[in-house]
Amino acid sequence: MKTLALTTIGALALLAACPQKRVFQLSSDENNPYMLKQTLDKRRLPTQPIPVNDSKQPRVFVVTVGSPKTIVAYDLASGNVMWKADADVQSRISVGGDFIVALEGNQLVARDQARGAPRWKASVSGKFVGAAADEQRVYVVYHAASGYVLAAYDGKTGAKSWSADAAGELGAPGAHGGVVYVPYLRQWLSILDGSTGKLLTRIRGIDEQIAMLDVTSQRAYYGSKQGVFVLDEKSASGKRADATYGKVKIPPQLEGTSYGLDVYDPVQMMYTAAERKRVLWTTTTVDGQLQLPGEGYAIHYFRYVLGFDTKGELTWAYSNPRVELVASDHTGSAIVGVATNGDVVALDPRDGSVRVRKSLGTTQPVLGATFDADGWSPSGQVEKSDTVAVLVSIARDRDARFDRVKELAVRRLAQLPGPEVTQHLLAVIADPRQPQRLKDTVVELLMDRKDGSSLPVLTSQLRVTTDYIANTQPESLAAVAKGIAGLGGTKLEPKDVSAALAALQLHLEAAATSSGELVQIIAAMVAIGGGAERPVLASHLLLYHADDNLGDDAAWQKAIVVALGQGGPTEREMLRYVAHDPRTRPKLAALIQEQLGD
Amino acid sequence: MATTKWLWGMCVAFALSGPAFAQPAEAPAPPAKKAKRDRGKKKPPVDLSAEIAALNGADLEAAAKAADTLGASAEPAAHDALLDALALGLPPAVTTNAFTGLVKHPAPPDVAALRRYATHHTPTVRSAAIGALAMYPDPNAKLAVVAGLHDPVASVRAASATAAGKGRIRDAVEPMMKLLAKGEEAAARGLAVMADTELARKLADQLGKVPEASLALALGLILKRPDFGPDPERVEIVRAIAKIADSSAVTALTDYLDATPKNPPRPSRQEAQGVVEARLGGSPDKKDGKNQ
Repeated sequence: MKTLALTTIGALALLAACPQKRVFQLSSDENNPYMLKQTLDKRRLPTQPIPVNDSKQPRVFVVTVGSPKTIVAYDLASGNVMWKADADVQSRISVGGDFIVALEGNQLVARDQARGAPRWKASVSGKFVGAAADEQRVYVVYHAASGYVLAAYDGKTGAKSWSADAAGELGAPGAHGGVVYVPYLRQWLSILDGSTGKLLTRIRGIDEQIAMLDVTSQRAYYGSKQGVFVLDEKSASGKRADATYGKVKIPPQLEGTSYGLDVYDPVQMMYTAAERKRVLWTTTTVDGQLQLPGEGYAIHYFRYVLGFDTKGELTWAYSNPRVELVASDHTGSAIVGVATNGDVVALDPRDGSVRVRKSLGTTQPVLGATFDADGWSPSGQVEKSDTVAVLVSIARDRDARFDRVKELAVRRLAQLPGPEVTQHLLAVIADPRQPQRLKDTVVELLMDRKDGSSLPVLTSQLRVTTDYIANTQPESLAAVAKGIAGLGGTKLEPKDVSAALAALQLHLEAAATSSGELVQIIAAMVAIGGGAERPVLASHLLLYHADDNLGDDAAWQKAIVVALGQGGPTEREMLRYVAHDPRTRPKLAALIQEQLGD
Repeated sequence: MATTKWLWGMCVAFALSGPAFAQPAEAPAPPAKKAKRDRGKKKPPVDLSAEIAALNGADLEAAAKAADTLGASAEPAAHDALLDALALGLPPAVTTNAFTGLVKHPAPPDVAALRRYATHHTPTVRSAAIGALAMYPDPNAKLAVVAGLHDPVASVRAASATAAGKGRIRDAVEPMMKLLAKGEEAAARGLAVMADTELARKLADQLGKVPEASLALALGLILKRPDFGPDPERVEIVRAIAKIADSSAVTALTDYLDATPKNPPRPSRQEAQGVVEARLGGSPDKKDGKNQ
């Protein structure tokens, strides 16, 4: 009997040591509504969003640059650093009930969450792909010589609970409520029992890859860069149309923004710049449809957090002072972020006002961070939201990486009324360090603004003339003229119009005004002059009709002839005279005759 | 000429007197308009129709000659013809002749016509118009000359500085001082032409603030002016030049010595000679034997 017992124990041990039969296979039951419902019912999820950690306190675990790096555990609620520990962190940190876990060097290391001391270490028998944790366990995917493996470890002891082999590529896992999610071959999302490793069910994405996984305390999102599915009973359809699926409008200027990590990208398993371009949202499901809260959603883009309403219109903006936010999260009630310099900010998702601003007190730059702060809702307001000021600061940012974001900012600015906004837009044009493309955009926006109150601001911009002694030149003359031209048809104060016409005339008659600028000036005078500009334009035409320089400029010819051609009999008579004057430049004469139909 | 009449009136009213939109109610009726209307009723005593036709014709050479002829004529109709042609827009090749013609018999309406060309896109036209405006006491003419000192083109600034000197335009002093500080020779020459004792002292005080060569040139030219004095003032100028370390100071003083007779003795000349001898180590008079 003893021999039998030993043999049995030996066999069991051998079985335990060997991987189970391959859990992840190409052929398997999938998109099974019954099994999916059973699986979803099995999850033990909180009724309200709360942190994973046993204390249920909002926390962030930050990794700072160094050799070795340092982990800083920070209690968001109290604003205190819990501990700091040097560690050769080589992966993102995952947060469990009373532990955290990360790849340190080439070992999986779990640390006591309250004190930071290493609790256990485990070798990873292959190339690390990713890890996740729930209250009790750590789940690790690695690529062994024999293939991909998902292994589970006890969070307290580090004992290996189970492992599961895969016939193909696995992505980084996610976990909550006793189940573990593992993307498989970009096509499936497998859901396993966290305690046994048993495959509970799997979902196959029929019309979209599954390469993104984002797990909160209550919901699991999966999908790709195109959009996001919420894991629920409708997921069994595998199709966007029949599932709870959604996406938000991501402005093209915020290139590279994603909904979550690409679980197949080994680079993103460490903290990278990819986390600085992220959609931050919280959703509910109403009548089977993914629904955003009333305030909409936000996008973290490097230094900036931009708020958008449900229609995708930019509503607020936050610019982190001086340095970038390297990590961010939506807790459901707040948007939290950690900056390179160790500042921690919490924003109100409704308007971008700052509710909390603290400092980790780190001396080294922050590399990345993992939040465990679901449901955290800090009260108070330390800084009011000033979207206009932020948009202006974005627009005038000299960092060339943000040229597209600046475009987004000026487009939003231009939608706001008021002369001060016009002033800000003009400042962008006048800044020699701004890219021409942005300036061109601003000019277009100025033309489209149709804000009559801006006319005095535009006029004041025309005060500067070319002056050798004072070393001045007009700033953005053509752009300002275009802005004025854009006000054509808008209700304008007569005194503002008179002042604008006088200022435009000054430049019309200035020697240094280029022909291109003259064209814009003429257009502006026509747009707002209501006919009062015609005598001045007539004089201008007479002065240059026989000039072999400006008089031969095709754009100028067209501008001045069209402008005066819109006039009454007096202007038409004058045009006829010019057309028949033998000194008139030939192409100008022909153009006038064409305009008059003579 | 019916067409030109209404054009002339329109252009003068709206384009010749500065920003038309800024002061629409204050824009004065152009003097030429009424005068022209009155004169239009009279038959010109001399037939200028050929010259007028040539002035307004396509042959630029003939137009320039016609402008010269009309300018030389004392007939009011000739002057009016030049004004008309300028109002209707002359090609740049003809403008200088027309301006020169106007200035030969200056009249108040000329200023408005010339000012219109003082900001012309062609620098030579601007220079010529500004040079002509120097001949008019009208404050608007002076304003145009002063404005020309700020022109981005050096040749126009030079023409303006020359005009300012010729017209002794006091408002031009400050901008010309600034141009002097930038080393503009024309400003030095213009200031020298218009300098009285007060301005000369002011210039002398610019040592260290303006390029030495420009200052030496300006002070040297003042010294050489026969109308500048009395001699104690010239002595002060010589002493101011003596403080200039640049070799241009010696050139200025040598030029002064060359330009003035040795007798009767003039303290300023003696002072200048002393300075030159000290700088060069000998008598310039003895060296070249001039002005003995």
